[in-house]
Amino acid sequence: MKRYWLAVIIALSATVFMMYQNGAFAAKPKEPITAEAKTEESKIEASTEGITAQLDKTSLNNGGKITITGKAPEGKPVYIEIWSDEKVRASRFDSELDKETGKRPYIFYITQEMPAYYKLFVPQDFKETLEKEKKEGRKWSVSKVLRDTGAAAVYSAPAKIKIDRYQTSLFASVIGSRGELLSQMDAGENRRRSMQLVKARFRDLPKVFSADVLVEPDGTFKAEINIREGLAPGKYNVVAAVDKDTKAQPLTFTNNISFPTMYLSNAGTSLNIFLPFLLVLGVATFGVLMGAGGGFIINPLLVSLWPLPHTIVAGTVMPTVLFSQGSGIFNYSKIKFIHWKLGVTIGLAMVLGGFIGPKLTELITLDQYKFVFGIILIILAALMFWQTTPGYLDKNKKEQAILKEFQKRAKESAEKKKSS
Amino acid sequence: MVVEFWGQEFKVNTILGCIGGFLIAITSSMFGFGGGPFMVPLMTVGLGLPMYVVVGSSLLAIFFNTVMGTIRHYQFGNFDFLFFLIMFPAAILAGFIAPQIAKRVSPIWVKRVAVVGLLILAFSLLGLF
Repeated sequence: MKRYWLAVIIALSATVFMMYQNGAFAAKPKEPITAEAKTEESKIEASTEGITAQLDKTSLNNGGKITITGKAPEGKPVYIEIWSDEKVRASRFDSELDKETGKRPYIFYITQEMPAYYKLFVPQDFKETLEKEKKEGRKWSVSKVLRDTGAAAVYSAPAKIKIDRYQTSLFASVIGSRGELLSQMDAGENRRRSMQLVKARFRDLPKVFSADVLVEPDGTFKAEINIREGLAPGKYNVVAAVDKDTKAQPLTFTNNISFPTMYLSNAGTSLNIFLPFLLVLGVATFGVLMGAGGGFIINPLLVSLWPLPHTIVAGTVMPTVLFSQGSGIFNYSKIKFIHWKLGVTIGLAMVLGGFIGPKLTELITLDQYKFVFGIILIILAALMFWQTTPGYLDKNKKEQAILKEFQKRAKESAEKKKSS
Repeated sequence: MVVEFWGQEFKVNTILGCIGGFLIAITSSMFGFGGGPFMVPLMTVGLGLPMYVVVGSSLLAIFFNTVMGTIRHYQFGNFDFLFFLIMFPAAILAGFIAPQIAKRVSPIWVKRVAVVGLLILAFSLLGLF
């Protein structure tokens, strides 16, 4: 018994130490307040020189079509950059082999300032270029598309976001830390990394680039832009540009959403709230019936049906079962049906696992998340199949009878105690 | 460790239980599901405990993991409060509806449907079709 309590104390102090190491109770990372400075900056940049633009609407209702027309200097390509004021988080774990040094960098990049919507519209002449890049599949790169379409000089909104980078290591992951915060990057490096984060956040090429700008030989241009459903509400900025120095006055429009569509600010997605409600209701009911929590089915469905980041899905589905687990424990404890020593011992091992796990979620991409989840589901399906085999059913029948008998006895003794 | 439960004694391999629980906890908190369906086989088959010991104690063990996982996800900013408010009532409601249905359906058939459904979902996640 003594040895047991010693182990408990060691485990507890190790947990507290890890929390302390990770600065879990320390202040949250400070948000840089540079918004004012930035708007001033963009005002200076937007000096109109030979390019004008107009929008046909000032507001949209959960997406829709909006037309931009204008005039640019003759014979020049026109690019239109649109981004939302609403910001979301984007992160990327760089573990690819560096060709120059032959080492893996293991650097984790994260920003809180990625626009919830960002898209660059290029002239229609580049349609084929975009098609070709699309064939690269998952390997497409923002910087290559920017180079090939000549839009590199126009890419500006995400280039200045504040990006934090952490040097992770196996040890840091084991103690559940993001790693060592590295120094700020210079402007050029920040710009380069922001492109990778744009891809990490929006994933598909058609979501970031589209060849929609029709430029006439005399310099007038027109673009019919389709803003898709389920985007962030609020102000959107539109800038038409020819190159770095020739930019039109920034235009704005608002995207309105109304109930029952609501905006999930951490996930950066608007959705009709009844759809996930009904989905969770159906799946969780089935989950209880089959004897496995609904999380196994809900999580992959949520990330497949909506553009929700897997980190948000994992982190938000988990707490929903807290209440049912808590009430289950309470009910079992009332009839003394929990072996506390056994539960706490394994529970302490699980606390350590629960400490490390959420850290690993952000290190993997959505594709890796789906892949591993697929394998987990196959294992689960095998377990479920095993539970329908005759041998298991036979054994289970006896066990259930004993379980019921013990539960009855436990209830009786609990009641006896109450009445006496 | 010797587990004494309602007058019976069982010898339990604590190390196996802890290592297994640790690994299950990492995966379950990383991917955001409950570890129940994996914990129960670990404790019945791996540790050789009968079902009536496992039901309550495995729930207690998983609860530790869920609490820690929730705190950690919150710290890393993975928690969306509005999204939680949408899903939480649905999960609670499901807890009331399910027992009503459970009386009318055979658990074996539910499991058979689940096997097929899980395999379809798994293959689509793996991109096989």
